[in-house]
Amino acid sequence: MITFYSILLTLSVYIFARFIAAKYSSPLTNPVFLSTIVIIFLLVISNVSYDEYIPAKKMMTYLLGPATVALAVPIYKNRRLLAKYYGAALVGISIGLVTTIFSAIILGYCLQFSRMVILALTIKSVTVPVATEIGRILNGNIPLIAAFVIITGMIGAMFGAKLLSLFKITHPFARGLSIGTIAHGIGTAEAVKEGEVQGAVAGAAMGITAVLTSFIIPYGIDFFI
Amino acid sequence: MLNMMKKMWGFSVQMLILIGIYQVGNQMVRIFHLPIPGTVIGIVLLFLLLSMGVIKIEQIEMAAEWLLKHLGFFFIPISVGMMTIGSVLVNKGLSFLFVLIVSAFIGLISAGKATQSVIMKNEKEKVNYRDHVL
Repeated sequence: MITFYSILLTLSVYIFARFIAAKYSSPLTNPVFLSTIVIIFLLVISNVSYDEYIPAKKMMTYLLGPATVALAVPIYKNRRLLAKYYGAALVGISIGLVTTIFSAIILGYCLQFSRMVILALTIKSVTVPVATEIGRILNGNIPLIAAFVIITGMIGAMFGAKLLSLFKITHPFARGLSIGTIAHGIGTAEAVKEGEVQGAVAGAAMGITAVLTSFIIPYGIDFFI
Repeated sequence: MLNMMKKMWGFSVQMLILIGIYQVGNQMVRIFHLPIPGTVIGIVLLFLLLSMGVIKIEQIEMAAEWLLKHLGFFFIPISVGMMTIGSVLVNKGLSFLFVLIVSAFIGLISAGKATQSVIMKNEKEKVNYRDHVL
């Protein structure tokens, strides 16, 4: 019964949030952000704990795997474009990852975060299903990692497009790549709305980032933190 | 009516193909102990199948586009999980948020700038090369 209630609640809030996002375009109306806030609020006031929400969560996220696999479609459709700019893509993804990871580690040290928190910071740009897998290998704090990944995705989805325009990054390829590298799936969902090229490149960048990070972090982690 | 049922049937078959590829990716990771997540293998696998013509784009396009349109939805139930670490986020939330925002902005700008300048540089070289030929 609670599971049914949770699913119904999540779906209706999502539909409502999409409707709001279509009507008022603002970082605060980003559907993932808005839905999360409203759902947590409604679960708390109707006395449903997260443990009771988990069966509903499992059902609703079942398609996340196939949806991630479906990213091959925009990559395939834009394969000529990706082949044309592959050099730029590799440079951009590597530089984006190195700067975001190192700035997070340095700031984390300055603010005296624990090793557990800094570990979570290093995988924050990787899509959720992949980040939690890396976290498990490294004995990290899974809920904390998921929170960092999701907040990072929301930051990218909410402010990414405006920030890129502010810094005169106008090329659709560069815009999609930047958002996909830093803000993984949540950013990609937003990039898809901006244009097909942006969406495809973001999807491809997200995949490449996931592969690069899952290779580098498990081996490099003892060296860095 | 018949048309709609046909469409729904087609959609379900497409969905099953995508789920199948995802499961194959997961099994490959398990069997070969790959250090890469199953979804990443799935992306590569589907891309190869499309490139080799084993799967035609029309055979999965409808389901794939529907899934991608609602990609954000699948993150919502996971993100609701943040309610379990509420106390940590309340205590240290602002400093976490500060680090996440600053490092995300630095990453976004440098990735975008780097990509754009490489593209511009390459295109400029091509123009120069063409001038030279002419």
